[in-house]
Amino acid sequence: MTVRRFLRDNGLGLAFGTAFLLAVIGQAFAGHAEFNNQLTADGLQPVSIGDYIASSDFGVDVMENWQSEYLQFFLYVFLTVWLVQRGSPESKSVDKIGVESDKDQRVGPHARPDSPRWAAAGGMRLKVYASSLGQVMGAIFVLSWLAQSITGVSAYNEEQLRQLQPPISWPDYIVSADFWSRTLQNWQSEFLAIASMAILSIYLRQRGSPESKPVGAPHHATGVEG
Amino acid sequence: MPWRWQWGAAAATGAALVLTTGCGAVEERRTAAMAAALDFERALGVRDGGAVCQALAPETREEVAQSAKKSCAQGILDEEVPSADAVPEDVQSVDVAGRQARVVFPADTLFLSQFPGGWKVVAAGCTPRPQRPYRCTLKGG
Repeated sequence: MTVRRFLRDNGLGLAFGTAFLLAVIGQAFAGHAEFNNQLTADGLQPVSIGDYIASSDFGVDVMENWQSEYLQFFLYVFLTVWLVQRGSPESKSVDKIGVESDKDQRVGPHARPDSPRWAAAGGMRLKVYASSLGQVMGAIFVLSWLAQSITGVSAYNEEQLRQLQPPISWPDYIVSADFWSRTLQNWQSEFLAIASMAILSIYLRQRGSPESKPVGAPHHATGVEG
Repeated sequence: MPWRWQWGAAAATGAALVLTTGCGAVEERRTAAMAAALDFERALGVRDGGAVCQALAPETREEVAQSAKKSCAQGILDEEVPSADAVPEDVQSVDVAGRQARVVFPADTLFLSQFPGGWKVVAAGCTPRPQRPYRCTLKGG
């Protein structure tokens, strides 16, 4: 495979992977400058960029965003099995609510020669594989939310100590205002983004995008991607 | 072993290594912060103003000198900072978060921060107040 062909065939993953790296590097530099501003104002020693990247302050800022993104996709993957939005290309058609038939899903005896092996397997392997996308998204959400709570309590306690206040334990932190403020401020934006995408895509179009219906598709057409 | 399992094993080993290293680093910082607090209390106990100031963070040292209108080493001995027994057995608790620490003795509570020369005392003679920062006899700023 030529390099050009590889780049063309993987453009979406590569572009977003690169954008992610650039954004996280930018976040590290901006966060480092902000963190050192606070330390300097408190008469404390500024830290190096390396120390900042290894700090809980950077960790919690990264993790709180990761958990909400993976929650968004986890819920989206799971809830769109059961919830539909008439007229939206983000939704399947109203008559397909639920996990659908084995025939429609090409599993067990309906698997084709090019189907993944576990789709034809049946039993526990099929059960696991049939919800593997949601499970992995859900697992990454839980792990990154846990990581948010662990880095969060450390970052919170570091600030408490800087302000001559007592540190708190992890169980106290996960019911604290700081933890839930960080969590919910991310969740609200994810939920709004999903709701607006589901509804706006009923009436608006983006020519050539698989996230949109074809430009000439009627508003009532559901589950049609352009 | 299938390659997927090898990756899994490598990832698990990596995670275990990070966790162990992280915990080891926290323990090291706790020990270092406690040692700095003991040095401070020891110097205070024998009324060695120079050593007490050496254990202070730069801004706290400056504050002592400014408020006493003399050198830190002379001014610090006029401050009413309670001194605790400088023995590890007398330390009630050590909390470390990042580069900040709190060391609690029965007679005193210290707040420390990490500087290039090691842990330094940012505030001393601190007593807790509910829902508010500790009230400290000695602090910077």
